[in-house]
Amino acid sequence: MISELGQRRFREIVPPLLDDAYTLAKWLSQSATDAEDIVQDAALRALKALETAAVDRPKPWFLAIVRNAAMTWIARNRPKTLAYAGDLSDLDAIDMRQGEDDAPDPEQALIALEDGERVRRAIAALPSPYLETLVMRDVNGLSYREIAAATDAPIGTVMSRLARARALLAKTLRAEP
Amino acid sequence: MTERDERFLRLNAALDGELDAMASLELERDMRVDPAFTAEYGRLAALRDAVRRHAARETAPRALADRVAALAAPVAPPGPASAAPKPFRQRVWFDARALALAASVSAVSFAVGAGLMTLRMQGAADGVAKGLVSDFARAEIVGQPFDVASSDRHTVKPWLAARATVSAEIADLAQEGFALEGGRIAVVDRVPAPTLVYRKREHLIAVTELPTTIAGARGGRAIETIDGFHVARWSDANMSYIAVSDIDEKDLAAFVDAFKQALKPAAEAPTR
Repeated sequence: MISELGQRRFREIVPPLLDDAYTLAKWLSQSATDAEDIVQDAALRALKALETAAVDRPKPWFLAIVRNAAMTWIARNRPKTLAYAGDLSDLDAIDMRQGEDDAPDPEQALIALEDGERVRRAIAALPSPYLETLVMRDVNGLSYREIAAATDAPIGTVMSRLARARALLAKTLRAEP
Repeated sequence: MTERDERFLRLNAALDGELDAMASLELERDMRVDPAFTAEYGRLAALRDAVRRHAARETAPRALADRVAALAAPVAPPGPASAAPKPFRQRVWFDARALALAASVSAVSFAVGAGLMTLRMQGAADGVAKGLVSDFARAEIVGQPFDVASSDRHTVKPWLAARATVSAEIADLAQEGFALEGGRIAVVDRVPAPTLVYRKREHLIAVTELPTTIAGARGGRAIETIDGFHVARWSDANMSYIAVSDIDEKDLAAFVDAFKQALKPAAEAPTR
């Protein structure tokens, strides 16, 4: 049974963060319907947690729950997608530079950035540790410190993942016609 | 990490507003002496802006927001001292309950209270029915009249049971010409309520099942018209039902009769 106090905390914290939660879940699961299930699951977990404790920084706290709910969901329903999480050392070998040395064509690059569908496809193709970092930063607007807390990673890792995510994006958008 | 990687990290941090004053100063100095560095910053900023523009935050679907709100819905509004304005439907509900309490105090006040209560209950009843009518209209417009699509009662029932607080009674009315299409959850007074969707030709009928304790679940005329849709209300010993449809009144009446007949206790029901 959930107490009135827990419910009140929940009502103050969770509903204002639903759009952020839904958007993050949708990027991580790459599905609108799955995102709804994930957020609902996360909300339930949040309600249980708020029963026993108050929360200082609601946004990274709730988005961390959403992220974990998404991980659980993906592990259960699409285990193959998670392959990357197992071997991060491969990822760290990815070049951080934007590939500006191989035939830079600023005009071409700018055109690619105008194509919303292309940009979204390139984001969706990022390995999940990069994807979650990029979405938390540029879509949810979390600070490095908050992303570190939400993804349970050192701040240096957050910085290099974000840099690599952007480098990969730039490279993909440049390469693909 | 190479010097170059280090520099790229710093550019990212600058872009994200994560550099402190000293580091920013140093970066500005580096940019002044190295145009390539400035150009790299420009490219990175354009990329970041494109991500923000094309991957903007989305609005959570209303159904999701309703379900999440229902997880921690207030059990009963606090006493009359509460200053916060309540949504209309909820306020009317509370007033009706308060009146019911007052009415039981004495015979005299009962007579007065009951009179008022009927008035208030009518207001609540209209509120609930109106909410369901707008749900129905929205579902029609969006073209998604149900969240679980199945003509199989044994699929729809557990789906609804997992999401609503009351278990749905599902009538099999295929023989009467009303095919079960699926189910969805309506939120009435912040409580998730199972809703069944039946089809007759191109028309849909949505039946929402409510605990009889919800104000507005009972009462009202047999069939009324709200915003151009027909609404039928009835109750049995356990549940109240509100059906919203775009079929004509006669067909809706036939549907209600068939539904009641199908859910009658086994002894009375015709063999199915």
